[in-house]
Amino acid sequence: MSESQENRDGKRRRERDRPSHRSSRRRRGGDRGVPIAVNLAPMIDVTFLLLIFFLVTTTFERPEGVLASDLPRVGGTQAVPLPISPIVVRIAQTGPGVDDYTIRIDRFEGRFDRLDALPDVLRRIQQQPGFDRETPVVIIADDDIRWDHVVGCWNAALRAGCERIAFGEP
Amino acid sequence: MRYGRHRRLSLTLMTFNATPMVDVFFLLTIFFMLVTRFSSAEQVPMELPKPADSRAGVVRMPERVVINCRLADVDDPGGRTVLYSIGPNPPRPLAVIAEQLAGLKRESPGLKVVLRADKRLPYEDVRAVMRVIADNRIEVLNVVAHVAEEL
Repeated sequence: MSESQENRDGKRRRERDRPSHRSSRRRRGGDRGVPIAVNLAPMIDVTFLLLIFFLVTTTFERPEGVLASDLPRVGGTQAVPLPISPIVVRIAQTGPGVDDYTIRIDRFEGRFDRLDALPDVLRRIQQQPGFDRETPVVIIADDDIRWDHVVGCWNAALRAGCERIAFGEP
Repeated sequence: MRYGRHRRLSLTLMTFNATPMVDVFFLLTIFFMLVTRFSSAEQVPMELPKPADSRAGVVRMPERVVINCRLADVDDPGGRTVLYSIGPNPPRPLAVIAEQLAGLKRESPGLKVVLRADKRLPYEDVRAVMRVIADNRIEVLNVVAHVAEEL
């Protein structure tokens, strides 16, 4: 390395290290010259943990809800007389298959073997004299009827707008 | 000096741009936070009724007890043994369930009962529980079914 080259390098170094008027001002102003960097690593760690947690715990299932109704009242002390003329819906098993059932409504003609038809039938009954939405609906099911069909019957009564639904003993 | 020049070259840093990754992480985390529903421990796995156009609604009940009725083996559709349990507790005979329910009713008179029953159960098995509930002078029954699918 030549002598002039060394001199030039030394001069540059001295100029760089000398506290200039500008740099001291910058320092007083809060080190604005130093780049401020946010350390992202902890945030990425936490986000990644949260992501894994939610990935593992998430289940895409249909949520559960409740249908409220009156229970069958058993025994003399609990028996409350129902208002006159309730609509009594009976579900009976007709065969060995799970869908072999028939639905009949007391005092009304006709049987049907599909729950889809029940809301319309109940709506037609509600339009008859002496019946309305507040007329109690009593569901009476056979012992071997699947619970699924009983709940379906109950839901059909709610779809028909029935406001008082109860279970009855066969 | 040659050595110094080499050192200057080695200072060229390989940087990793984490911004898109953080963006994706945030989006995924927010998505899963919104869609997650934490199932309670008292919701024992079973096949719940799924009525057409379900009118079941999600209701908050502070003072409630959940009674689960399920088949002994979920994978065996022909299985006939019915297990009754209160909340996340192990299965008990129905007589024990009746005693426990009576005790709970004494402690909190405004107790509400939520009945979760497997949809494949015959009605007589569920009705036995309904009788137990009615015997404890709980007249309103809340039965669990799947809510209607949102469009």
